[in-house]
Amino acid sequence: MTAARMFPFTRFRVEDESMRPTLEPGDYVFVNRWAYRFQSTKRGDLVVVRDPEASERFLVKRVSDATGPTEVQLAGDNRIASRDSRAFGPVPLERIVGKVWIRLKR
Amino acid sequence: MSLLHSLARALDRVSPAPIAYAHCDIPCGIYDPHHAQLAAHTVVRMVDLINQLEKPGPNATAEQRQEYTNKLTRYIATKEQHSEIAKSELRILWADYFKPDHLKTFPELHDTMWKALKTASKARQEINLQAAEDLLKATNDVASMFWKTKGFETITAKAPYPTERQTVYPKFK
Repeated sequence: MTAARMFPFTRFRVEDESMRPTLEPGDYVFVNRWAYRFQSTKRGDLVVVRDPEASERFLVKRVSDATGPTEVQLAGDNRIASRDSRAFGPVPLERIVGKVWIRLKR
Repeated sequence: MSLLHSLARALDRVSPAPIAYAHCDIPCGIYDPHHAQLAAHTVVRMVDLINQLEKPGPNATAEQRQEYTNKLTRYIATKEQHSEIAKSELRILWADYFKPDHLKTFPELHDTMWKALKTASKARQEINLQAAEDLLKATNDVASMFWKTKGFETITAKAPYPTERQTVYPKFK
């Protein structure tokens, strides 16, 4: 991962269903880890974050509200099947890995 | 499947991509309303078989009576078991799968579940085709709600079992 950090883009494979129909299980996302060096998070951004409830795990969610300078609210697009800020509250910006730059549909 | 997606998959063999969960819950449960529907079909089938069973007349031999009693008992026992399976499966979906958010989309959820469980008890207690049909309908109603929460449309089709009743299935993409 150290060598990869020299490069802003990293890829993730999507699991689970809370981002349907935007993302399906098995899709890939390319994430720009430097996106928020030059701009702030906006409502509607797709982001990969470290799970506030389990740090070793990554989540892909949408920013539903850029509540303050230090935190955002996250939501799944498939509201009725998503665990997100409604359950775990706002997420500190430092937990954001990056912004989804490209989606590769299965 | 796009070419780029295939490339990303090929890359996974060299260096697997970390997983980003579009996460729902932990333990990420495996739920399916089909078990409840299947049990309801069995209950309907048992009532059908019981109703088709020829009752021994006044001149029936001891063997004929015994055979009748054996078949009837087996059908009733199966009906008992499967009504209970239907109840158990419905309870799992109700208590473990469905979340308060689902209620916003399906305000009738609690009422449907509660009535479904009552109907299952009735189907268990009586030899009552209407109760069995009502139970199947209730499991179908639950199945349509379930699959909608999963983001799938449903179709209603004749089941490929001897019961041949209308059954709700997900339309997988």
